Amino acid sequence: MNIQFKKGVLELCVLAMLAKKDCYGYELVSAISKNIHISDGTIYPLLTRLKKEGYFTTYLQESTEGPPRKYYKITDEGRKMLEELTNEWYDFVDSVNIIIKEDTENEQE
Amino acid sequence: MNRSEFINNLRKSLVNIPAEDKEDIIYDYEEHFRLGVENGRTEEEIAKSLGEPRAIAKQYLANYTLEKAQESATAGNVFRAVFATVSLGFFNLIFVLGPFMGIVGVIIGFFAAALGITVAGIAVVIAIPLAPVLPEIIHVTPVVTGNPAAFIAAGAGLTCFGILFGIGVWYLTKYFYLITIRYLKLNIKLITHKEVL
Repeated sequence: MNIQFKKGVLELCVLAMLAKKDCYGYELVSAISKNIHISDGTIYPLLTRLKKEGYFTTYLQESTEGPPRKYYKITDEGRKMLEELTNEWYDFVDSVNIIIKEDTENEQE
Repeated sequence: MNRSEFINNLRKSLVNIPAEDKEDIIYDYEEHFRLGVENGRTEEEIAKSLGEPRAIAKQYLANYTLEKAQESATAGNVFRAVFATVSLGFFNLIFVLGPFMGIVGVIIGFFAAALGITVAGIAVVIAIPLAPVLPEIIHVTPVVTGNPAAFIAAGAGLTCFGILFGIGVWYLTKYFYLITIRYLKLNIKLITHKEVL
């Protein structure tokens, strides 16, 4: 499957995950690449960019199994952006569904 | 490609990124490899699913140059941001570089026109008083010698117009930089074919 779509969708996925709980990079990357066929290397630059835009902060947490892990934590700005992107996404999906439904009904006539 | 090859490749490709940011980036990928191996994956498989280090570095470079251009919209910063974004993919060559160079050409033309007009005006203002003194060098028609004041005034007017025009073009250039930066931000959000597995 080869999809071209706006990175806004990836932003939405990352923010949605972080809204539920703080995650470390590998967690986010694994969860996303399980469902979306994108090279893992795309996600880290995205995380860096979104952090610079203030949608989340990072902190290091000591780990028993090695060097400290870098955790991402969503900010209020991030939650606002999440709401915006979620609304955009549902509007988009609704519009496409309407068009698809109309087409199917026309075909059946 | 194993872990150290990948990291070295990435490090080499991140040349133009400041050291502190570079170390943050490397940290992320070292952690990624470590956790991947802990989860039972091989280094080769992890490297493969990450994609090409050079492609990854280009994304960071595009983000970095765009950030710099937003902080300070100088010609150098904007040009660097444009070229870094274009390097992300072929799509950007046509839709970013093409229009950008076209507009750059127009602006250069405007500056040249403003300069030409200003120089012409100054030339008139200087030449007319000097014409009687240096007849071999400066040739003016009888119309001009009959009304030197009018023509000097016209020359001065032309100079002022040229300067104002130049100032106008300068503001236009600043505005153009801002629009370019906004357009680049939009383009960076698109995924190129290289990033899809």
